[in-house]
Amino acid sequence: MKSFMNGLKEMLSGIWGFIRKLWRHPKGRIGLIIVILLVVCALFAPWIAPYDPYDVTQRAQKGLSPSFQHLLGTTITTGQDIFSMLIYGTRVSLTIGVVTGVSLAFLGALMGICAGYIGGFADTLIMRIVDVLLVIPTLPLTIVLTNLFGRSYLMIILIFTLFGWTGLARVIRSLVLVLKNANYVKAAELAGASRWHIMMKHILPGTSHLLIMSTALTSAGIMVAEAGLSFLGLGDPTAISWGKMLAEAQSGGALLFGHWWWIIAPGIGIFLAVFSFMRIGLVMEEVFNPKMKQSSNIYKLFKNLNNTYIEEVFSSMSEAQILGVGGEQS
Amino acid sequence: MKDLMLKVRNLKVIFPNQMGVLKAVEGIDFDIPKGKCVAIVGESGCGKSVTSLAVMKLLNSPPAMVRVDELVLDGADLKDYTDQMMQEVRGKQISMIFQDAMTALNPVMTIGKQIDEVFIRHGKMDKGEARIATIKALELVGVPEPKSRANQFPHQLSGGMRQRVLIAMAFACMPKLIIADEPTTALDVTIQAQVLDVLSDMQKKHEVSLLLITHDLSVVANMADTIYVMYSGKIVEKAKVRELFLHPHHPYTIGLLGSIPKLSDEVHKFVQIPDAVPHPMFKPTGCYFHPRCSHSTLKCSQVMPPLKTLLNGREIRCFHPQNVVDFEEVAHE
Amino acid sequence: MQKGYVFKRILYAIFIFFIVMTLNFFIPRIGVTDPAERYYPPQGNMSEIEYDIIKQVTREQYGFDVSTFQQYLNYVEKLSRFDLGTSFKSGSPKVSDLIAQRLPWTLVLSVTNLIICLSIGISLGSIAAWKRGRWQDTALLNASTISTALPGFFIALILSFYLGFELELFPAYTNPNMISQFDWSFEAIKVVIANAALPIISMSIGGIISYAQGTRNSVIAVTNEDFILTARSKGLSQRQVLYKHTLRNAMLPIVTSIGMSISGLIGGAVIIEQIFNWNGMGTLFLEANSTNDYPLMMGVMLFMSSFAIVANLVTELCYSLLDPRVTVGERR
Repeated sequence: MKSFMNGLKEMLSGIWGFIRKLWRHPKGRIGLIIVILLVVCALFAPWIAPYDPYDVTQRAQKGLSPSFQHLLGTTITTGQDIFSMLIYGTRVSLTIGVVTGVSLAFLGALMGICAGYIGGFADTLIMRIVDVLLVIPTLPLTIVLTNLFGRSYLMIILIFTLFGWTGLARVIRSLVLVLKNANYVKAAELAGASRWHIMMKHILPGTSHLLIMSTALTSAGIMVAEAGLSFLGLGDPTAISWGKMLAEAQSGGALLFGHWWWIIAPGIGIFLAVFSFMRIGLVMEEVFNPKMKQSSNIYKLFKNLNNTYIEEVFSSMSEAQILGVGGEQS
Repeated sequence: MKDLMLKVRNLKVIFPNQMGVLKAVEGIDFDIPKGKCVAIVGESGCGKSVTSLAVMKLLNSPPAMVRVDELVLDGADLKDYTDQMMQEVRGKQISMIFQDAMTALNPVMTIGKQIDEVFIRHGKMDKGEARIATIKALELVGVPEPKSRANQFPHQLSGGMRQRVLIAMAFACMPKLIIADEPTTALDVTIQAQVLDVLSDMQKKHEVSLLLITHDLSVVANMADTIYVMYSGKIVEKAKVRELFLHPHHPYTIGLLGSIPKLSDEVHKFVQIPDAVPHPMFKPTGCYFHPRCSHSTLKCSQVMPPLKTLLNGREIRCFHPQNVVDFEEVAHE
Repeated sequence: MQKGYVFKRILYAIFIFFIVMTLNFFIPRIGVTDPAERYYPPQGNMSEIEYDIIKQVTREQYGFDVSTFQQYLNYVEKLSRFDLGTSFKSGSPKVSDLIAQRLPWTLVLSVTNLIICLSIGISLGSIAAWKRGRWQDTALLNASTISTALPGFFIALILSFYLGFELELFPAYTNPNMISQFDWSFEAIKVVIANAALPIISMSIGGIISYAQGTRNSVIAVTNEDFILTARSKGLSQRQVLYKHTLRNAMLPIVTSIGMSISGLIGGAVIIEQIFNWNGMGTLFLEANSTNDYPLMMGVMLFMSSFAIVANLVTELCYSLLDPRVTVGERR
């Protein structure tokens, strides 16, 4: 129990460290602020949204244009308040994105580490599964499986997780193949540490930065996929989500009546959620590979070089100057 | 000075970046006489590779900025040559042998084709003639079965063979000057010796001038005529190879020599130079070597010593030169 | 490229196909003891006896009255004659006929899209790499951060709203008659082009930008390689270095992503086809899903997967032609 608490503490302090790093990076800060805003929207949706879009008694006149009463108007088909739907939609997108992203990271890490570290039969088996999953088209497969097993969000998360880990597992595997030959791993092996111990204590920490980065990026990707699924009318039928709002807007005649806000609003929701998670993922990549960032900024730097300063630097290196000073001394 | 193949005066290279300016090479002078081998020796990070690229004018700007007063190759000053003019010089008059042949060869092109390119570019040959010349060039550097080897890709050759390919490529048009940047560092010791033999044979046979750049004094002992010791972007000592090994003056050179393992005297302790080369952005004041030097005084930490020329032509940048023999006095300017 | 390598890759592709085929057979059978229940789920107003009769008929009609293993053998045997089964649609059309009908229309969209993405994307990417750090490069970077966060179907909706409904430049919905009445006349082709414009534009925006970004990164990565320095030290001109050394190496990762695009040619446009009411493979699949037409659904899935397997195989062989290192060490 104590070691568990310690582990938890360690993890939390690690996460806190990441947040601090993100905050210091100007681009990361934008992503972080948007994510925090979205989380607040999701947690406090009933207090932020002026109406409850699930409540049938709180429906207004159908097809209202934006006004102070209904910031984004109401839907043409049911008279729900679009702004409230937008706020409530945050819940679905974030939950599915983050939960799937985290479980994908777990599964991908497990598979990648098994394939890379244990090798042999485990490696062959896992890589064969990867190759098979790679050729089966993702969206159609998801549709078939939701058709068979129902379309609850739990099922959708499960399907996304079970069939989305291949890319991450490949990357982790190739990283593990490098780590496996690192001296400290060899030393632990010679010291007689168990495989499980080495995997948990030495290999996993080496892949942690990649895992955190990919959690952010896959979460973003899953949000797009969920929106697409809901847009096709194949998401959870009981929930309100941005993808479904777009589908309702299209089928409900938003295009025909010129109610562009009905389309733009959920689109902006999706954009912000995906954008912020991607930002965070990319900034992490930059933080972990500082080389990449430097090389792209050097061009900007050269445009704004201070020429007199550069001249000073050049002349400070001259032999004549050194001689002058040195001559005085001797 | 007609017998000079390369004359470099006051070469400076800096790399501006976000944090400030990285001074890689700080105004160095060196000469390479015709048909001779000159070596620049120093630890990694002292600016020697940058020097070699600067002579070829291969440093991109950005990120580098280069200044030089004179860069004279066989009487022609390359200082103001444009990149287009340099294309005529590179490969034909100066060529280069890089450190790691695995990365220096294009992985998706046969080695034959890569050498052909030099002949086609400078030798005014068509593809067939170029291939014949290529096979001959490979034979000269001791590649067995050059005809079939020419059709192989770099990953199919051993490390020593790849390095020989690079040497063949550099000697293809018999240039006036060849720059070899750590030509053997990436190889096993036994292969190292073979490759060095090939290189020095080729150099002597064809009377090409060679600029050898290395961190390993034992490599240059048998090849070079003159040695420049470089530290943190500056030349700290210049001497004929024999004199340098017998009477090293600069404490840094003494340290470098001390780190060569010797079979003869087991009594000698393995001398180490403490710490590492200062980061090129945060160099110390005064003599750059003083924090690591056992002879340093207060003056060393305040003033950069000038490069003094001794009577016998040696050059030394130190306030406290060691092993100085009587007849060596400072030549007056 | 060694013959042994080609042979090995082909064998492996066949192996993968067998696994996919087997999965395809078993997926509709998961969770039910009798596949007939999957094909005809019980309806509320049906009595037990009525339902038993219906199940019996279904079993006979679809060959479920033998053991599962025998069913599997029959399925494989039918597949070897390119028989993907019979759809539930009225008139019991063959699944393969339905696919043959719809496939060209999906390919019209996706192949045109791929060509546009490749030609414009790769040229834009090369320009950005060439003008590294200048406005062209920055513009590409900004465009890619925005476009990757915008789902293609949202772009499609906006385009169909603005260009289709507001400006009436292009038809916002495809008239289903376009396909049934297509007769290769000049007029008919003109109609197809007008109707395909919006779907293709909305698909290609994201694709162009992602290919451009990929090309840019790849070219820049190769430019920093040592062998580029070697090539320059030989006296080659910038143009020669670019064409003979940089581009060929920079193409390698791009070939991999082209392969991925090709394997997604058939199944990658489901949502776009739905938005523009374009009767291709995607809409065929969605129709099958909404009517629980399992033979059709699984047939389309198998077809898409087989296409992807062939595309992957071809990509791998092309890659090994371009990169001689592949035949020695496996690429992963």
